[in-house]
This record gives sequence, structure tokens and C-alpha cells, in this order.
Amino acid sequence: MDHLMIIWEQRADILAGLLTTVELLLVSAAAALALGTLVAPALMSRRRWLARLATLYVDAMRCAPFLLFLYLIYFGLPLLGVRLSNWSAGAIALAVYNAAYMAELLAAAWKGLPSTMIEAAHACGFHGWGLLRRIILPPVMTSALPMIGNQLLQIVKDSAFLTIIAVGELTHQMNSIQSTYFIPFAAFLTAVVLYWAICLVIEIGGNLFARMTEEKRA
Amino acid sequence: MAVHQDTRNASPATAVSARSRQRIRVSLALALAALTCGQAAWAASADEIKSRGYLSVATEDDYTPFEFMKDGVATGYDNELLALVRKQLGVTVKQQVMPWSGILPGVTTGKFDMAVSAVLATDERKKTFDFLSPTSEAVTFYATKKGAPIKAAADLAGKVVGAETGSAMLTDLKNFNEELKKKGAGLKQIVEYQGYPEAYQDLALGRIDAVANTQISLMSLVKTRPDAFTVGQAIGKPVFIAWAVKKGNTDVARMVDAILLELRKNGQLYELQQKWLGVTYKDMPQSIN
Amino acid sequence: MTAYDYYSIVQGALATILLSVASIVLGVPLGLGLALIRWARVPFFGRVVVAYVSVMRACPMVTLLLLIYFALPQFGLSLDPTPAAILALTAGTAAYNCEVWRAALLNFPRDQYDAALSVGMSRSLRFRRIVFPQILKAGLPGLVNEMTLQIKATPAVAVIGIVEITRAALRIGARTYEPLPPFVVALVLYSLIVLVLVKLQRRIERREAAKG
Repeated sequence: MDHLMIIWEQRADILAGLLTTVELLLVSAAAALALGTLVAPALMSRRRWLARLATLYVDAMRCAPFLLFLYLIYFGLPLLGVRLSNWSAGAIALAVYNAAYMAELLAAAWKGLPSTMIEAAHACGFHGWGLLRRIILPPVMTSALPMIGNQLLQIVKDSAFLTIIAVGELTHQMNSIQSTYFIPFAAFLTAVVLYWAICLVIEIGGNLFARMTEEKRA
Repeated sequence: MAVHQDTRNASPATAVSARSRQRIRVSLALALAALTCGQAAWAASADEIKSRGYLSVATEDDYTPFEFMKDGVATGYDNELLALVRKQLGVTVKQQVMPWSGILPGVTTGKFDMAVSAVLATDERKKTFDFLSPTSEAVTFYATKKGAPIKAAADLAGKVVGAETGSAMLTDLKNFNEELKKKGAGLKQIVEYQGYPEAYQDLALGRIDAVANTQISLMSLVKTRPDAFTVGQAIGKPVFIAWAVKKGNTDVARMVDAILLELRKNGQLYELQQKWLGVTYKDMPQSIN
Repeated sequence: MTAYDYYSIVQGALATILLSVASIVLGVPLGLGLALIRWARVPFFGRVVVAYVSVMRACPMVTLLLLIYFALPQFGLSLDPTPAAILALTAGTAAYNCEVWRAALLNFPRDQYDAALSVGMSRSLRFRRIVFPQILKAGLPGLVNEMTLQIKATPAVAVIGIVEITRAALRIGARTYEPLPPFVVALVLYSLIVLVLVKLQRRIERREAAKG
């Protein structure tokens, strides 16, 4: 029990770690989704060179282990003269890596759209950007929503890797506490519970969002 | 192109109430598990060690010059000292090389009998550990990039300093930060690393302004890279470095201590000190508990 | 980078792959077992499996590894790094495999099962001859997908000090103060290995899609 008391005493540091994880999740998820939305049309573009470039990017991220990719960003960017903090390097790695997955699942959802709908939209005079924004993106987003939720869960789990580059997220804070107060089980169990709580929130959020869009559709 | 991860996290569309009931059950189960985590583990006694035939020790994997890996072999001051101890011990030594943040907790939970590592014997640690006769002395210093504008310890105010998670150097750094705050401004940020090699790399890349470590390790660093780093001033008080066992496990400590004191008498300890640390500490006490 | 450095990266890659393979070999049947427990609606253990999968889905591999390696000794279960890594990796992949197998089981046509029952097949025969071959076919894309992800997630074992590919590259960089070359080599080498598996996965997916 006194182990839990120690954990409770360190709650400020733990909260800081939890907030850092959530911040990383929000920032990199938003960036990944935005970047993915840009890459998805490129994946399906009729211009061969663009499609091939986009496929190369997606395949590269699919094959690369996240930890090694993270180190590449962490050590590689300074060599290009870009001075970044650990947090920024981690957020960039998370965003770029997961953007490829977002692009792929958005493209799959896009392909699932009935072509009749797009033809009808063309007939009504929708083109280019307007077509994308008003006709294509809404159903793509709604049908891709569960997969996007999965990807968010993956981002949360990948964020734990950032402890290795000394970003003060949840696992890092817990490791610090357990090695200072010698309470490994209490510390890591608390971490598992908190990660589980974050994923719970994501799932509930996803369900709420799905219900909202269902209402809009009906 | 098929979609990646399609069934991975797919949750069936069940009623919300069933889901939340299940979640409440899971959280209760986890809470129950949490209540049991005050359990302290036992450490093997000297008799148990003799009967099972081995002593299990843990050594850090990258802490130059005390212990580090070279071409796949564990070497350094502590490792060569351990080799000498192995010859006289009578039981085999099972050594695990691992990150620092697991070594001391590993001793308290009974995973290892002894931490064969450069453990700084702080008063705080003496509450949880018994220390063997010291192997070295240490003071926490800081190091900066060569040519950095930090000329004295007080100049660290407003700077980012790194140290290893769970180390006494980190504690010294935190105490130093408190002192700085009393005089005005404290450090901008303390960054905790899994190991010092990562901290030194960040220092070289300019992500942090200084690294806090023992003077011995920093001297070793500057010796290999005199063009990149300089050692600054002390920010902590002198402590002894010794191997550690769980508090109360005195007979296990005595088993190895006898050999260490023997190595002092025949001078081999001081030879190793000169070889790896560059200094000898001939006036260390025999017991620091 | 010296010759020994390249050798240590290759050795690290081998160590990582062996850990992945071990966890895959253990995790696929374990996942099937867990899925069967839920399918058969075993009273208490079914709920345990649900809770287990739910927690494993949310838990990062890094945190799980730290928990198993550093925290379990408090309960007397002290593991060496490699068994601890295999345990953690297997526990994680078994949870996901359970969901893949479960999806395949749920989609299994009930009438085939009833037909087998009416013909008087024993339970083990029913499973071996009728159910298993078909759920294996149905679940294969998901399982191979999970294997690919598992091979990519294995470098997490670096946190408990196993000298696998990431740690090998890190050590070289720490010594030479040129961290990028070893990591580029490690990244390229490991990505090539995953690429082989991804190509295999694509081929399987295409075959399944062609079958309709």
C-alpha cells in the first residue's frame, strides 16, 4: 500500500507525463490525419509519377520499424541543420510515420465509394476542390472512422517509444519514479491503467462521433 | 491495396451499457491487483547462494570507465574487479548486463543478489541498501561543450542539464537546482536519459547545455573527446562508490567483501583503479554502512 | 564503422528476428486458444480473456516489457531479459491474434457446423477437419498482417537492454559519435526483412481477393 502512497505523492510528475502523452497524441494525430488527407489523393492519382512517389512513401513507412525511424529523425535532422527538441523530433516522427497509414486507410475508404455518386456529382457541376471537400471527404471520413480510431490507438502505443529519446511522456516518468523509489510494479501497473484510460477515452470519443455522424446522415 | 490493420482493433458494435459494465469489472480487477503491489520480495541468503551454487549480479551496460561493452565483452573497472572476485569466490557468478534504471530496483525486489556497478553510496540509499567496501570515490560534476559560455556552476541557471534516470548524480543535480532557485533563477529544465551515451550525444548536438555525472566518468569522456567537451565544476558532495546488496543481506555482502579487502591488501585493487580511473584512492574506509 | 560494427548490426538484426519469430510461433496458437475460449462461451475465463485483450490492446509494448522485466520479480517471477522479452511479445501478439481468430470464427457458417454435428462427428474431429482449415484460410490475411506488425514492434526490447538491432546501432554511434551511419544501416537492413514479409502478405491478400 505504501507503494501506492509513493505513487500518489508523485502525482504531479505522473500528471505531467500523462499530459505530454496526450499532447503528443493530439498534435501528431492531427498532423498525421492532415498529411494523410494530402497523400491519399496522390496515392490514387492518375499521374503515374505522383502515385508512384506516394506509394514509395507509404511502403517505406510500412516496412520501417517505428523505433529505428524515430532514431533516424532524432539523429538525422540536426545534421541537416534543423535544431529540434526531443519532443519535436518525436512528434514529427509520430506524425510522418502514421500519416502513411492514415493515407492508406483513407485511400481504401475512398475506393469503397460508389462511383455512381461521384459521376452524379460531376453531372451536377462539382469539380476539383469543391468535389473533394463536399462530396468525397465526408463519406470517406465517416466510413474510415473506426480505422482512424485504431490508428489513434497505435499512436498512443508508439508514443511510449519516445521514452528512449528522453521525452517526458508517461512511460518515461514512471520509469524515473520506479528507479528512484524502487517500486517497479506499482509504477508500471499505474502506467498500464492510465494508458488503458486514454484508449477508453478514444473509443468513447469515436463512438460519440460515429453516433453524431449517423444522426447527420439520417 | 488492402487496408493495413483492419481487424486489429475492431470493436464489435455492442451496446454501450454492456461495454461500460465490462470496463467497470476490468477496473475493479486492476484495482485489486494494485492493492497487492506492496508486496516486498525476499533476497537470497548466503546459505541459499552456496547451496544453489551461484550469485546473481547486475552490471550497467554503458557507464565508462566503470563498466561498458567492448566488442561484445563486458569490460571496465567493475568488470575486471569482478573477474578477480570470481577467481576466489567459490560459487559461480551469473552476471546480467542491463540499463541502470533496472539495477537498484532489481536488488530491492530480489531479482539480483548484488549490484556490481558504480553505485554512489548516498545516505538516502543507505536506508535501502547495504554497501560493500568502497571501490572508488566520486563527486558530481558537470560537463559542457568545449567553448560553451558556462564558466562556473552558477552559470547553469536558465540552462538545460541532463543526467541519468535513477542516478545519484540526478539527485545531486536536483538539489543543486534547489540551491540555485534560492539564489535567484534555477535550471531551465532537467532531462533524464536512459544512459549517459545518449546524454553526451545530445550535449554534442546542442540539445542540452550540460551533463551531470561523476568526475571520473566525465574525465574519461574528455580524455576520449578533448575537442568536444570540457569538465566544469562540482555540484555535489563527495561520496563513496561501492557495490550494493539489499539492506540486511550482510552475510552475502561479507562473502564478497572479504575478497575485495584482500585485493586491497595485495594492491590489485589500486592497480585497477590506476588503469581505469586514472587515480588511486588509498585511504578509503573498509565499511561505509 | 568497423567490420565488427557491421557484424554487430547483423547479429542484432538476427536477435530481433529470432525474438519476433519466437513470439509469433507462440502467439498464433495461443491466440487461437483464447479465441476458442470466448467462442465456446466458457463462463469465467471468457470474461478474463475479454479483459486481457482489452488491456493488451491499450498497453504499449515498451511499458509491458518494463513491467514484466522489472516488476514481476516483486512476485518472485524473475526472468532473464530474453525470456522476459518473449513473454511480453507473445502476450501482446496473442491478444491481437485472438481478435483475428475470433473474427474468423464468428464468420464461420453455422450450418456447416450443424451439418457436422448431425453426421455425428466427434468434437475434435469437427474442429480439426471442418472448422480449423476454414478459419485458417479466413484469418490468414489478418494473421500475416499481425506478424508483420510484430516484427516491426520487436525493437522495443531495447528498453530492457537486450542487444538487438537498435541497441547495437546505438552503441556504435555512442562510440564513434557519428550516430547516423549505424542507424541508416540498421533501418535499411531491417526494412528489407519486413519488405519480404509485406510482399508475401500482399501476395496472400491478392490470392484471397481473386478467390472472391
